[in-house]
Amino acid sequence: MGAGLEALKRVRSARLGGMGIADLGFFTLAGVTLVLLAAQAVINPTQFAQVFVFGLADGAIYALVALGYTMVYGIIELINFAHGDVFTLSAYIGAALIAFFSTSENAFSFGNVIALLVVFPVVMLIMGVINVGIERVAYRPLRNAPRLAPLITAIGMSFTLEGIMFVWHGPATVHVPNLLPHGPGWETYIGGVFIGFKDVFVVVAAAVLVALLAVFINRSKLGKAMRATAQDRDASQLMGIDINRTIAATFFIGALLAGAGGIIWGLYFNTITYNLGFRTGLIAFTSAVFGGIGNIPGAALGGLVIGLIAAFSDNYIGPKWTQVVVFGILIAVLVFRPTGLLGMRVPEK
Amino acid sequence: MVRARGLAVLIAATFVAFACGGSTGTTASKGTIKIGSDLPVCTVGGQATQNGVQFAIDTKNKAGGVEGYTIQFQGFDDCRQAAYSADAGVENVQKMLGDAKFLGMIGPYNSAVAKAQIPVAEPQHFVMVSPSNTNPCLTKDLPDCSYHPQDLRKGNANSYFRVVTTDDYQGPAMSSYAYSTLKATKVGILDDSTVFGVGIANAFEAKVKALGGSTLRKSYKKDQTSDFRSILLAFKTFGAMAVYVGGTDDQNICQPRAQMKTIGWDVPFMGGDGIETTDCIDQATGNEANIYATSAGADATQIPGAAATIAAFRKAFPGPNDFGGYTMQAYDAANALMAAVGRAIKANNGNVPTREQVRTQMAATKGFVGVIGTYDFDANGDTNLKVVSIYQVQVVADPTKSTGVCGSKTAKTACFVWKDQIDYAKA
Repeated sequence: MGAGLEALKRVRSARLGGMGIADLGFFTLAGVTLVLLAAQAVINPTQFAQVFVFGLADGAIYALVALGYTMVYGIIELINFAHGDVFTLSAYIGAALIAFFSTSENAFSFGNVIALLVVFPVVMLIMGVINVGIERVAYRPLRNAPRLAPLITAIGMSFTLEGIMFVWHGPATVHVPNLLPHGPGWETYIGGVFIGFKDVFVVVAAAVLVALLAVFINRSKLGKAMRATAQDRDASQLMGIDINRTIAATFFIGALLAGAGGIIWGLYFNTITYNLGFRTGLIAFTSAVFGGIGNIPGAALGGLVIGLIAAFSDNYIGPKWTQVVVFGILIAVLVFRPTGLLGMRVPEK
Repeated sequence: MVRARGLAVLIAATFVAFACGGSTGTTASKGTIKIGSDLPVCTVGGQATQNGVQFAIDTKNKAGGVEGYTIQFQGFDDCRQAAYSADAGVENVQKMLGDAKFLGMIGPYNSAVAKAQIPVAEPQHFVMVSPSNTNPCLTKDLPDCSYHPQDLRKGNANSYFRVVTTDDYQGPAMSSYAYSTLKATKVGILDDSTVFGVGIANAFEAKVKALGGSTLRKSYKKDQTSDFRSILLAFKTFGAMAVYVGGTDDQNICQPRAQMKTIGWDVPFMGGDGIETTDCIDQATGNEANIYATSAGADATQIPGAAATIAAFRKAFPGPNDFGGYTMQAYDAANALMAAVGRAIKANNGNVPTREQVRTQMAATKGFVGVIGTYDFDANGDTNLKVVSIYQVQVVADPTKSTGVCGSKTAKTACFVWKDQIDYAKA
């Protein structure tokens, strides 16, 4: 309670009331970016639309990973650095499980459907259990320790998971079978823009998962407990909420989403490496902060926006500058709007 | 010739052993001399190259060693975090320098590693023979280079040699092939921001422009890009008829090839020797065919007499990916170094020579007959051989008979097949 809440209130009233200097800066920045993009859209609409599709698909996956960061931060104020590696590990486990099925990469077969229907829930569950295990081993014992201690164990868990994947498959690229429908008949040009079934699948799957999460958080009893715990842990405990169970559930659900994201990534790009999670995790965490840490719609929006920014930067400016562009925009946004796009929601102290 | 002499040594050694009452071993070794290698063994290509060194030394020892000395081989790995590391390479050289028995090394594999190692090795007159470094700046004082050989050497006599030619031939060779044979007049160029990648992409780009073509250039960094589709789209929008990549497989340089398929774009995908690798074919999963790559040396199949050595190697190293694009170059490099060590021993009255004596003999190499050519080295350590080979990935019937490397995972029958070669020594 106190200063933080006051600041939040100020931001909120500034948003509802007249525009402050910060908001003016923010909207100017957003406006300039949009005008530049709109100019490109007019110059070459096909190219613009195509990059938009790529960015949307990437952003959808970032959003799935970002949700795990934001949920965990929202409830225990921990940056779970291992989350990006949970994402990668799920793609590794997914690839290993797919090998047990009779599948075809050349044509979309019945075997592929069975494999996908089995592998998705199984990997998501496995990842959920692993993430709850990580929480139990590396974070729960440190819950009341100084803030830096669990931060370090989180980095440690990240390297541990990367190490496991390194030992498992070595440094080279691992192939994830191309099980989703692709090739002629599953791909089309709409107004010159190439769209495959895979692109649609990624975006729809992510949207469905985010929608399910939103319903769960807002409607279910456990979701309510999670929101309560995020708001005030001690008060929730006094009201009879099992804090340990609620936090474990948060990790479980975060890993379900990262697990789904990992398999989707694998099926989409078909190549993964053991350290994929480092960069993806960084981008996803950035998305979570961008959207307002602790804020679930914010993380989804942040993921989409960063996916789009990265794609446009890759295409119009050059990949060498993409990281600079993404983080430059992040700095500018946070300077003008420290709580992120949709405002942060963190435990009240 | 080499083999016959080796056999004579073996017979002589056996005779001496018997004459002296016969001791325990089959050869009466006068002692051991160590030769190291510094290669990125974490990559399939690096391991295959080390196999070539191992095979050369094993063969030599079976034939009695060098002037009565047994050669002890120790391979060092310069991988850190799954990719080559110049720091690791320097550490490895320092380890070898710290052991007086090391008289030379084969390696490194990557030009960026050589750039860091040469200033450490040259003051100690330590001979490095690279089987695969192609960055011209390591040996040639060119105006476009960001560093120069005299700065690396710091006034010491040259002790760095290489058996392959350089990117100022390798890059343009692919330019000529792309422009004249594949008729690609507009090319998208992507480099991986490394010493090697930027250098070879520059050389390629300059030649394409000189021929009258146009290019669009982009760079990426491994740890920052995993979705290449927006970049590829920029090339496609530009109207590129081919994509050229300057870089190596450990920087994921062939992942864009796989992603070209996911944006429905099919044009030739080309690169230097950094992509003439198994890892590249594996990264291009689902879209392996029509990757074109150059190699900075002759293809063994184009050299009469090389087949026997390759067959012997295949017998000793039967794994499908044991043979790589630079295995025979490494084999030649090791034999050239051992020949120099042999001459140095002779010049030193049969005693273990100093590193400086080995360096002098290595620099004096004239007409060394290797598997892929007959070598001289110029004052900068460059070979007189200036052959660039061009390969294309095709599906072959029997990958075990391929002289180009093949995939190891989903496309085991997709192999680099020799298409053409350009000999700049004759041109």
